[in-house]
Amino acid sequence: MKTDIRFTHQALVEKCKTGHNSSQYELYELYVDAMYNIGMRMLSNKEDAEDIVQESFVSAFKNLASFNYESTFGAWLKRIVINKSINYLKKKEIAVVPIDAHEFHLKDDVAIETEAVDIRKVKSGIEKLPAGYKQIINLYLVEGYDHIEIGEVLGITTSTSKSQYHRAKKKLVEIINEL
Amino acid sequence: MDNFEKHIRENVAEFDEHKADRSKMWAKISQDLEVKAPKVIPLWKSSKLRIAATLLILFGLAGFMGIQFFGAGSSDETQYASKELLDIDMHYKGLVSYQVQLVQKNKNLTEEDKTEFLSFMDELDAEYEQLRIEMRNNLDNEVVMEAIVSNYKQRIELIENLLKQINESKLNDENYGYTL
Repeated sequence: MKTDIRFTHQALVEKCKTGHNSSQYELYELYVDAMYNIGMRMLSNKEDAEDIVQESFVSAFKNLASFNYESTFGAWLKRIVINKSINYLKKKEIAVVPIDAHEFHLKDDVAIETEAVDIRKVKSGIEKLPAGYKQIINLYLVEGYDHIEIGEVLGITTSTSKSQYHRAKKKLVEIINEL
Repeated sequence: MDNFEKHIRENVAEFDEHKADRSKMWAKISQDLEVKAPKVIPLWKSSKLRIAATLLILFGLAGFMGIQFFGAGSSDETQYASKELLDIDMHYKGLVSYQVQLVQKNKNLTEEDKTEFLSFMDELDAEYEQLRIEMRNNLDNEVVMEAIVSNYKQRIELIENLLKQINESKLNDENYGYTL
């Protein structure tokens, strides 16, 4: 029996591959809230998030044949939502990485040792981040992507992702401290 | 990872604060899933056009036979040279040779498939030539006429099968994937 986490909901996914409508709805029910929250974090707008999540589910169901359990279905779907969100922001000419400092690299990761902050303040602080900082913070801290994955998603190098993340984190802590 | 990051990662569930409007969103998704992608049907795949082509051949052959019957005594060239039949013949020859060229140049087909296809076409060509000769000698022979029609049908079918094969391989190529 396959116990690998990648095969979570395998039976359901396989039924969806055959175009089984009620299985598609079942899978949608399982993931829609999580995906909607990703959309909201990336786009900060209800209508945009709804559109992107809808498009992502349609795209996922139509291309399910290419899903071969290299990751979980959730991670695969999440990547579709994130890719579509980033493309949407780029289309609207909203910065997805800080415009000024692609070449500016911090020497080392500057560890920020703060006391456990209120998560509500963190959420509010992320919302107040300037364009370009928000996506990288969300992708690393909340979505749990590493810098290689962030580089792929945002079309930047791994080292740029690292340096931009540390700048963004510093800025976030500043904002939180002012709250 | 510093304690700031750790703290956020440990409480990441708190960031999922929104609830999706499930039924509204599903309505849009299911609507989009129902819309089939527009299919491009090549002319030769349309059954109406195929019937039309078959009828054209039949009428052409009938015309040809009529000329042969009523115009007995004319030269060999004019016997066969019912203008209409010649036109039909030229049209089909052109169509078939164009398809053959397409097949030869196609990169989605293996050499084996191409050779198999072309050898079948050669066989049908040889058969067609035989039938043409037979037709000159036995103009009122319905069996020969049917055989000519069947020969054309087989060619069309052969091309159709091959196109299906090409389209299937194209579909596989176009199935882009998201890979993590």
